[in-house]
Amino acid sequence: MVHFDLGNISSGPKDYYDILIVGGGPAGLTAAIYAGRAGLTAAVFEKALEGGAVTQTHIVENWPGFTRIEGSELGEKFAEHARSFGAELVTAEVTKITYDNEYKYVHLDNGKVVKGKALVYATGAVPRQLNVPGEKEFRGKGVTYCAACDGYLFSGKDVVVVGGGDSACDEAHFLAKMVKSITIVQNLPYLTAAKVLQDRLFSNKNVKVVYNSLVKEIRGKDKVEEVVVVNNETGEETVIKAEGVFIYVGLVPKSDLLKDIVEVDKFGYIKTNENMETNIPGIYAIGDVRVKNLRQIVTAAADGAIAVEHAAKKYF
Amino acid sequence: MALLSAKDREYLTDLFSKEMENKVKLIYFGDSKENCEYCELEVQILDELQELSDKIIVERYNVNDHKDLVEKYEVEMVPALILTLEDGEDRGVRFYGLPSGHEFGTLVQDITTFGKGAKPDLSPNTIEKLKEIDTPVRISVFVTPTCPYCPRAVLTAHNFALINPLIKAEMIEANEFFELSNEFGVSSVPHIVINRNPNTFFIGAYPEAQYLEEVLKAIK
Ligand SMILES: Cc1cc2nc3c(=O)[nH]c(=O)nc-3n(C[C@H](O)[C@H](O)[C@H](O)COP(=O)(O)OP(=O)(O)OC[C@H]3O[C@@H](n4cnc5c(N)ncnc54)[C@H](O)[C@@H]3O)c2cc1C
Repeated sequence: MVHFDLGNISSGPKDYYDILIVGGGPAGLTAAIYAGRAGLTAAVFEKALEGGAVTQTHIVENWPGFTRIEGSELGEKFAEHARSFGAELVTAEVTKITYDNEYKYVHLDNGKVVKGKALVYATGAVPRQLNVPGEKEFRGKGVTYCAACDGYLFSGKDVVVVGGGDSACDEAHFLAKMVKSITIVQNLPYLTAAKVLQDRLFSNKNVKVVYNSLVKEIRGKDKVEEVVVVNNETGEETVIKAEGVFIYVGLVPKSDLLKDIVEVDKFGYIKTNENMETNIPGIYAIGDVRVKNLRQIVTAAADGAIAVEHAAKKYF
Repeated sequence: MALLSAKDREYLTDLFSKEMENKVKLIYFGDSKENCEYCELEVQILDELQELSDKIIVERYNVNDHKDLVEKYEVEMVPALILTLEDGEDRGVRFYGLPSGHEFGTLVQDITTFGKGAKPDLSPNTIEKLKEIDTPVRISVFVTPTCPYCPRAVLTAHNFALINPLIKAEMIEANEFFELSNEFGVSSVPHIVINRNPNTFFIGAYPEAQYLEEVLKAIK
């Protein structure tokens, strides 16, 4: 089925907004909805596509109200909802954040600077790398972190999926329909994904799992040809022939723009209080980028609501 | 059945009426169904777009019947879509393959940019450096419709093209033009090739300044 999506349409930013929101994932877009409802002006700066990580998620089954919805559709609904409350969605990468006593400033990659009273940082987290030989070298030559983006390019080929969590299993299930075979490489003796996701994954005949194993190296001539894995109990090495390697081994916070300004933990996640405010008044951090126990769409959305509600009372 | 929902049509009608000052021409080249799987759909989506604003003019040509225009706009494959102002002057903005999925937003964004006089929102520094380019540059952005990072990579390329007539920027749908994608070793999108040289490419949606740097590095 061919879709025609309107996710990334934006207009140029004005000079000032009450609330500046960096990152247009579920956290940032919910913040925008709450800003609109509170009668505040808000701009969401997004460098890729409104909807954030959700837009590259195959299927979402734990967002209340939808037993099952495609990630890209949910992302688009979030954006539409934020727009309907007057939020400005701006396609631009924020490259720097500064502040003085009165305002916060976002510096955009097209050279513009926009100021606001409060700043909500919602940049999410990005896929963690394996840091093994060949990973960097073959990026875009077989190594990828986005099944939604690149899956079709591996139609009929043998691929490896690294990781055994929710994301790995869901994305492997998505890939199973188009690729020839999938070998999942998991470091533990079992998968950690939710049971429903595992059951669904194993309904595909072309999926197998190599447990207790770590990827040691990704090899090939011009592009990926094989993946070397080591059994972490026996030390035995196995070579798996594959043209694609999809890596889903967790996340790292995208806190680079704030990590020298506000407090972060040793992994780089931003510390906040229960109002989502950082140690700098008027700078909030929400969603996957902050220190928290559960990184999901619902919790990201909740953070957005809490932050803006607090800012609206305290600063306006 | 319409491709755009009533709600999307309403949204776009409003957007175009607010944002468009100039007329925009969408020049489409296609072929019969046997030769072009997606041409029919593209014709349909263009028809639906045209209905939403009197500022949008769609011209449709069969590649086999209009050699002069094919040559003028350097059309290589179909479906092809070239965006211009009302005068029809080629500004280097192209789509090869159906602009569906997230790329539909790219097309809409391009239409409004042309509607505002084809003056893209780039930093003065970028504009200055783009103007200094004095050799032909061709930016080919390979995409898939489901890739969230791709629209930005295409838009940046298209905006670059609007600054300097020597720059041509094309979206290429990687699934539709599978052989070409293979030729360039595309396995992760957006995959951006400069001057159709398989060795000068970069992968990913870069911010404006780095994007420009990559382009400049490739043409050195
Ligand atoms: C494959 C996969 C499957 C998942 N499945 C589920 C699921 O089924 N259910 C569930 O609840 N959760 C799921 N998650 C987790 C969920 O997607 C995240 O918890 C959620 O998206 C976090 O929202 P966020 O707004 O904090 O960040 P994100 O969604 O990551 O959004 C951050 C946004 O900020 C943008 N950004 C970053 N830096 C900048 C900058 N400098 N300038 C401008 N923009 C910037 C990014 O482009 C991105 O769009 C999944 C995640 C993955 C990766």
